[in-house]
Amino acid sequence: MKDLKLTQSFSMIALNAQNSLYLTTVKKVALRCMAASVILEVLLDNHTGKGWNTVDLRNIAFPDSEEYCQAVLEPMQHKKVNASRPLSLKQCLKSASALSGKRLKKLEKSVADSLRSQDLIEEIPNLLGCDLYFDSAGVPYMEYRSNIPEYAAITETVKAEILENGPVTDETVCMLWLLRESGCFSDFFSLNDLETVAVRMNGLYYQNPLAKALYPIRIRRGAELAVKQFLHWKKRIFKRPFAAGINFVYPVLERSQSVFIDTEAWFSNSDKRLEDVKNRLKLYGHTFTVLQTGAVPIIKIDNLVYKAVPQAIYGRVPIHGVRLMPRLPF
Amino acid sequence: MSRQRTMDVILASEYVSIGELVRITGCRYSTLKFYTEENMLPFEQAEQNLTRRYRREETVKRIQWIKKLKEDGLSIPQIKNVLQTAPKKERGPD
Repeated sequence: MKDLKLTQSFSMIALNAQNSLYLTTVKKVALRCMAASVILEVLLDNHTGKGWNTVDLRNIAFPDSEEYCQAVLEPMQHKKVNASRPLSLKQCLKSASALSGKRLKKLEKSVADSLRSQDLIEEIPNLLGCDLYFDSAGVPYMEYRSNIPEYAAITETVKAEILENGPVTDETVCMLWLLRESGCFSDFFSLNDLETVAVRMNGLYYQNPLAKALYPIRIRRGAELAVKQFLHWKKRIFKRPFAAGINFVYPVLERSQSVFIDTEAWFSNSDKRLEDVKNRLKLYGHTFTVLQTGAVPIIKIDNLVYKAVPQAIYGRVPIHGVRLMPRLPF
Repeated sequence: MSRQRTMDVILASEYVSIGELVRITGCRYSTLKFYTEENMLPFEQAEQNLTRRYRREETVKRIQWIKKLKEDGLSIPQIKNVLQTAPKKERGPD
């Protein structure tokens, strides 16, 4: 495992599986927390032992800091220069998380570049990009994928520290707060573990000065977090067999679980249909293996197994093709 | 409290925590916890706080050994048996 800064570690979790080309609401939640993590990183690196309630940005030299730090600290420069005394931690975190969309994009780019230079993150095509509507509209769909062993090492280290008795490092205290504010807790901890985490965080609040200063602060935005939780819930629901059947009939409910690939000709046979699907997958750079041929072929695409069910959709003219449905159970 | 130790410091220290073992071996926390509870990984526990400390070199060697035995197709009870019956020198301190 590499020695990563707090922002880099958190970004590997926050950016994983996010759309890399567009600023979606879910990604905005992640980026706001990434901006806050920059402030926490500065706080940890420049801590003088005088307490955690204030952040003194006046002594931080911009040229020395990382590029992604500058993306967050630059907009706060006027506050930093004009401030006669250090800013409060709450004030700093709130200002960082309230950056404009343009600034957040700049932050994303600089963090992604720093991770990419260490081979810790890459951009991969999302299967939804092969869908008729995305393909014909010329809308590319790429997403981030974090380096899996490094991602696992970061999340497992956090788990080990918080679920095990004993001291908790400052990085883990901050990481837990960031995970809470970005609404990622339930992705990493089981229901049983969540109870333990709640008890431990409560304990930390009373024992650890950093946790005492940090944990009462809220930077989350209700509407954005609600959208994130709703989309997460919807995706989970449509992975169930019954809901997957409904999604086959009404794919608009959850497009990512019901991708339609059009075939070149009407009434083409199963071999030609499969050939068209393979061509489309190749075009967008997916790795795939055909596990079973026939009327409903089974294809393993990017480590997930799909059934390619023949279907026609009707607009002004009927379009024949196949619908890729995840094979259940996974 | 304390900052996270860098990899260089961890790799130079005699004792490590379970979190640090996760970082240096790449194993899951739940796996290491299971090995510890099954007495496959020896540890020391200070009285005043309940933190488990592992001897870095011996524990990492033992984890690699367990991984190899698993790759050879041995089940957990068989691996435990091998670890217990191995000569003291190979087994490391209990």
